[in-house]
Amino acid sequence: MMSALNSNDLQHKSEIDPYGFKHGDDFDYATYDEFMSQYLGVLARRASKWNQLLDGISRLKKSRKVKRYVRKGIPNELRGQVWMCVSKADKLMEENPGLYQRLLSEPLDPDAQSEIDTDLHRTFPENIYFGNDSPNGKRSSLRNVLTAFAQHNPDIGYCQGMNYVVAMMLIVVKDEEKSFFLFEQLTKRILVGYYSRDLKGLKVDQEVLGELVRLKEPAVSTHMEKEQVPWSIPTTKWFVCLYLDVLPIETTLRVWDCLFYEGSKIIFRVALSLVLQNAEAILNSASFPQIVEAFKHFASPQKHIDCHNFMQKVFQDSQPLKMATITKLREEFNKKI
Amino acid sequence: MANRGSHKPNGSSPMCQFKLVLLGESAVGKSSLVLRFVKGQFHEFQESTIGAAFLTQTVVLDDTTLKFEIWDTAGQERYHSLAPMYYRGSQAAVVVYDITNQDTFARAKTWVRELEKQGSPNIVIALAGNKADMANKRMVEYEDAQAYAEEKSLLFMETSAKTAMNVNDIFLAIAKRLPRNDDSGNRQRTQGQHLEDKDRREVKEGGCCSK
Repeated sequence: MMSALNSNDLQHKSEIDPYGFKHGDDFDYATYDEFMSQYLGVLARRASKWNQLLDGISRLKKSRKVKRYVRKGIPNELRGQVWMCVSKADKLMEENPGLYQRLLSEPLDPDAQSEIDTDLHRTFPENIYFGNDSPNGKRSSLRNVLTAFAQHNPDIGYCQGMNYVVAMMLIVVKDEEKSFFLFEQLTKRILVGYYSRDLKGLKVDQEVLGELVRLKEPAVSTHMEKEQVPWSIPTTKWFVCLYLDVLPIETTLRVWDCLFYEGSKIIFRVALSLVLQNAEAILNSASFPQIVEAFKHFASPQKHIDCHNFMQKVFQDSQPLKMATITKLREEFNKKI
Repeated sequence: MANRGSHKPNGSSPMCQFKLVLLGESAVGKSSLVLRFVKGQFHEFQESTIGAAFLTQTVVLDDTTLKFEIWDTAGQERYHSLAPMYYRGSQAAVVVYDITNQDTFARAKTWVRELEKQGSPNIVIALAGNKADMANKRMVEYEDAQAYAEEKSLLFMETSAKTAMNVNDIFLAIAKRLPRNDDSGNRQRTQGQHLEDKDRREVKEGGCCSK
């Protein structure tokens, strides 16, 4: 009797992940459980290493060791704090006391506000924090952060996709004002121009990716060109949502750990790795729709559950990748687009 | 609907593939129409689409098997510049507006103009006035939309992804208007049965308008 109760209880709990997402009908519990049984050990080891690292220091400084630690995953309970620190969003917040509150006290342009409001109910409706208007929900926080950002950046305003990224930040960072400054750092320092009105930063980076694929796996590049599939077709969601709903949540957050520490290079590393690991599937797809289906199949939140192994492969597959190469390519495509 | 697609098993019928794109303002229900047509489902709060989503649906119409390759695009204005990638080469387009929002109808008209200028020369355009279940909040008159559709020779229906009203019908009406005996290279002969029965059943379930 007792054990039956427990197992029911457990099953009920595991329908919702630690971030408040309900597992879909197609969630692969067997693969997940198998992975978690060994990943829990990794998490415990990492947590103890991180606690030693942070013990007695007031501020985390960048170093080879910290970079290695970040690549191996920031423990969930430290994640928000470490993101704020390594992205320097915490400094930005310190330097701008009262800014967030001031931005929210002014009315936003009604068109921008209406664009934001239209998407509030359409952001993670399956997540317990965003699925309803309950007081402990985060929907009003999402509205506030997006509104403050649009107010602060009238040239950018609100771009669809921001809603998911900010919502995920709110889940992890658990604080509106901090999430606002983290998103500011992301758009100003890490992914410049991704959400602009002309999406230029995004379009440039998609071309850069195409060129990086050509350098690493020319056959894939040729095949995509022959079938006339521009890279922006499979990768717009990858880049705009920063792999949310493209990879499983835990895997996405491991990518974000590196994003806030190392910058935009990780976006290319992940894309390259996904393409290289699935080169055969792409090459075996004989038509435009088949190629699109192939991408949909391998870049899916049902795949790559083993985030630890995935991240190791990402770094193996994309080595070496110099920031100078990316910068040079960005300059070239900036002129062309 | 005497001319609705039949669902009888059909192993060797001619097969046509059509590329169809959905266009329209944000939150008018493009994804919901596709979800209803392809899976027979409806979510009150459908996640906003980023970039575009690709789905397929196969129907049998007058002994011909038709495969729709559907591009469901993002509605926000700033994604507009990506749209040509999806409508280029499309044989059909569904331009969607929300009957409770006049601005979305104006936006639909600009999509129609853009398709006339830059879409495929013989593209079949259907205008869908969605959210017809919310007629008590109606801001766009049926007659106005119908007159506009007639003037532009568009197929026109008011639809409801929520109740399934006219959803299959509008896709099938498009299918009927598409040239099926052309030499555009889209026509193929199926070799044996490679359509899944599952797909057909889903169309049938989604076809019920009485919910």
